[in-house]
Amino acid sequence: MSAQKPVQSDDPIELLADSLNVWVGKLSDIVHKVIDTEPIRNVINWARMYSLWPVNITTACCSAEFGAASGARHDLERFGVLPYGSLRQSDLIVIEGTITKKMAKRLRMIYDQMAIPRYVIAMGDCAISGGLFHDSYSIVNGAHEFLPVDVYVPGCPPRPEALEHGIIMLQEKIRSSKVYPQS
Amino acid sequence: MTTTDKPTQENTLGSPSPDEPGAQTLTLSVGPQHSGSGHMRLIVELDGDIILNAQPDPGYVHRGIEKIIELRNIIRSIPVIERPSIIDASNLNHAWVRAIEELQGVEPPARGQYLRCLLNEMNRIMSHLYWLSIYGVFLGHTTMFMWPLGDRELFIDLAESLTGARITYSYLVPGGVRRDLPQGFAEEAIKRTEYFEKRLDEYENIFFKNPLFTSRAKGVGVLSRQKAIELGTTGPTLRGSGVDADLRKDEPYAAYGELDFKVHTRPDGDSYSRVMVHVDEMRESSQLIRQILKKLPSGPVRRKAPIVVPRGEAYGRVESARGECSFYMIGEGGDKPYRARYITGSYRNMAAISAVLEGVRLADMPTSWWSIDYWPVEADR
Repeated sequence: MSAQKPVQSDDPIELLADSLNVWVGKLSDIVHKVIDTEPIRNVINWARMYSLWPVNITTACCSAEFGAASGARHDLERFGVLPYGSLRQSDLIVIEGTITKKMAKRLRMIYDQMAIPRYVIAMGDCAISGGLFHDSYSIVNGAHEFLPVDVYVPGCPPRPEALEHGIIMLQEKIRSSKVYPQS
Repeated sequence: MTTTDKPTQENTLGSPSPDEPGAQTLTLSVGPQHSGSGHMRLIVELDGDIILNAQPDPGYVHRGIEKIIELRNIIRSIPVIERPSIIDASNLNHAWVRAIEELQGVEPPARGQYLRCLLNEMNRIMSHLYWLSIYGVFLGHTTMFMWPLGDRELFIDLAESLTGARITYSYLVPGGVRRDLPQGFAEEAIKRTEYFEKRLDEYENIFFKNPLFTSRAKGVGVLSRQKAIELGTTGPTLRGSGVDADLRKDEPYAAYGELDFKVHTRPDGDSYSRVMVHVDEMRESSQLIRQILKKLPSGPVRRKAPIVVPRGEAYGRVESARGECSFYMIGEGGDKPYRARYITGSYRNMAAISAVLEGVRLADMPTSWWSIDYWPVEADR
């Protein structure tokens, strides 16, 4: 069975709309290229770097150190990081520790609902490779199995300073990234 | 046809009639992605904004710790034991070593017992402060989030100088504790606890007397004395309902028999009582820290104990920050237990969530259920 050719419509309005679509597509490619040039990209990345909004999701015990990092002494807000209630307006997941099989499904659902660009920090040994609980029957050994991870923060649990370092590393990554990421 | 006389089946467009059961209620799923849920989900049934029924959905952090304990030797198990309640690590650790020591028949030296109590009380304050800071967030009181977390760092520094770790100490081992007090610890600890008690007075002014808090906590989420006992709650939840139950007094372990302290209770059983029990306990604990440092006997801190779980059964329980934490252990003579049952305070208080939330407004839900001090990681284990 041969592949069917798309039927060319005779309707002049449809023809016009088709060609318009092509031109809009080409135009947006040009706009994307212009925005991705050095000065404009720097401004947009600068804005993204310093307004990271993590989702309110805690997976396990590293949440205690995330709490301490958000608190008075370490104060993550000075890096522009403040947990936010709505995941649609958030752009960062900090996976705080062990990911159980039950939580992994929810984490993936949350990641899929977030708007692009979105970033993932895997905090703690459990989120990196299973850590202390690597031989447990109910956990996923590492966040990389179902999410693209940007920064790994090792430790069990990582100190708040380590989390701050991870966030600075993520900001450095955003600084040199493209405005329109592939995923 | 006019619709003035009575609504017919057609003009309701297939929706159930308002008189049917279930037609007026709304079922909400709160969590796990929610600022007021933590690592769990609450399935809440609402009538208007009154909660008719709330069911917790735990298990998001179930890591099979009871099984992991069977695979590690008793020393390597200690970090695993601590993880369920990482902000209250030393109390959970204490239940573990008590069960092992009961089987081994090892009695730690007196100084070791006192140092255990010292870290336990510091941990109780840290755990309550962390809980209080989250309580502040749930009320939208950002100052009450920042202050307790800032003051918690005072004790974290102390614990770090004592054990080498910020929150996961692994300090208590069978036979005693890992190391002795560092130089200058006692003076620093006394200074910090005295400062902390002054801070608690400031908390009183900014938060505990604040109508923002009292109007949403007094008379809200009442758990009666009878109900609290029936549901088997423990810890501050039980004492907030007027029951004088504290393992440190009822079954003195470690050095608690020689220490002088009060068990704080409040009679009302509402959110406010449970919060104030926590606050009173923080004062009592900081008083206890000073008392322990004053009474601290000299001598070794650790006695040699074999890495062996002798054949037999043992039950070790302690009063952790969230209530009674216990280990039931069966030994076979190897370096691992044959079976260990691990029950924590949050696990037992989970039953109170439904009872507390019934009849509460949806807006008061986070503050009511968080007043139970339910730490999902600890309950799921």
